[in-house]
Amino acid sequence: MADVIASLPVLSFDTAQRVTEILLALAFLQQSAEHLRAAAKERNLFVFRIALCILLLTGMASLWATAGLALLGLLILHRFQGPYNGGSDRMGLLILFCLCLSHAAPSQIWREVALGYLALQLMLSYFISGWVKIVNPDWRSGRALRDVFEFSAYPVCENFRSIATHPRIVFAGSWAVMLFELVFPTTLLHPVALIAGLSIAALFHLANAILFGLNRFFWIWLAAYPSIFWFQQRVFL
Amino acid sequence: MLKSLALIAPALIPSWRFFDRITASPRIEVARMAQEDDLATGATGWREFRPRPQSLSLTALLRRLFWNPVWNETLFLTSCAERLLEKPTAHSIDEIASRIAAGLDPRAAEPFFRFRLVLISREGDALQKEVVYVSSPYSVTKG
Repeated sequence: MADVIASLPVLSFDTAQRVTEILLALAFLQQSAEHLRAAAKERNLFVFRIALCILLLTGMASLWATAGLALLGLLILHRFQGPYNGGSDRMGLLILFCLCLSHAAPSQIWREVALGYLALQLMLSYFISGWVKIVNPDWRSGRALRDVFEFSAYPVCENFRSIATHPRIVFAGSWAVMLFELVFPTTLLHPVALIAGLSIAALFHLANAILFGLNRFFWIWLAAYPSIFWFQQRVFL
Repeated sequence: MLKSLALIAPALIPSWRFFDRITASPRIEVARMAQEDDLATGATGWREFRPRPQSLSLTALLRRLFWNPVWNETLFLTSCAERLLEKPTAHSIDEIASRIAAGLDPRAAEPFFRFRLVLISREGDALQKEVVYVSSPYSVTKG
């Protein structure tokens, strides 16, 4: 086990921060491009965001780029009176504010606290989601996931609704999701477990993107992954 | 300032309660009208706004990973519908009306429309549909 850990590349704070910036900028560019077909007032906000994302990608003024994006994020929240795309927008803002603080903090320890908070929230995003499901009898019986496919607004085509008619599949799917989300924090104990856990998590987000059209969740959650790799090496290894 | 804090707080201290309860789900339906008061005596011709396709090819599903503006806008309008039912605001109503209007052909013979919200829920093993909101009439050109 020690050999496996020793063979893994060390992810420094600076590298984790920079890779997070790049992934966030790319995720924001994807989101922003989808708003270019909107009316002028909405489009202008996202044209400005595209410019700030390009600045962030260059890495030349990361503090100002993240601060500008955070301010713009607030304006966008006001424009839509809340998130446009629910949890994915909130995760994007969380990453953004943590990155901004990781640049602006007065000392290295506070910079690390900012990125560590992001890693902690990423871990909680899975664990709490699993917890709130497993305490619900409808999730334990498979009924809740059946309802998602049967009548929620999420399935992207009518054929996917037929999954609701397969009780064994929705029951197995419900328990697979709940158990994975609940055990996710234990993957922090070993680097190989974390790689496996995040790979499964990415596949989970990919499935949600395909079945429910939640493409923004897929890209934005990936952007938070570098922080948890760094956090594991910083705290657990 | 307080409004900004209320908007940003759920992002900085997230609840992460995804799909904790599967509640009734709103659908937006639209009816076009030749005259502004056509539906005053009874609604006819209601159609689901942006009905989902029967199926999608694997190519289309993969393309939507990178480019999915219409679906994401539809999800936003579902959020607006949920907000409207929870606490009606002019913002939610205007967002739904203006985005419906943007997708309607202004040259058609019916220059007005209304939208309504239909709540779909499960009662026992059966699905129930209930009309819970009917909008005022809107002009297709003005939204």
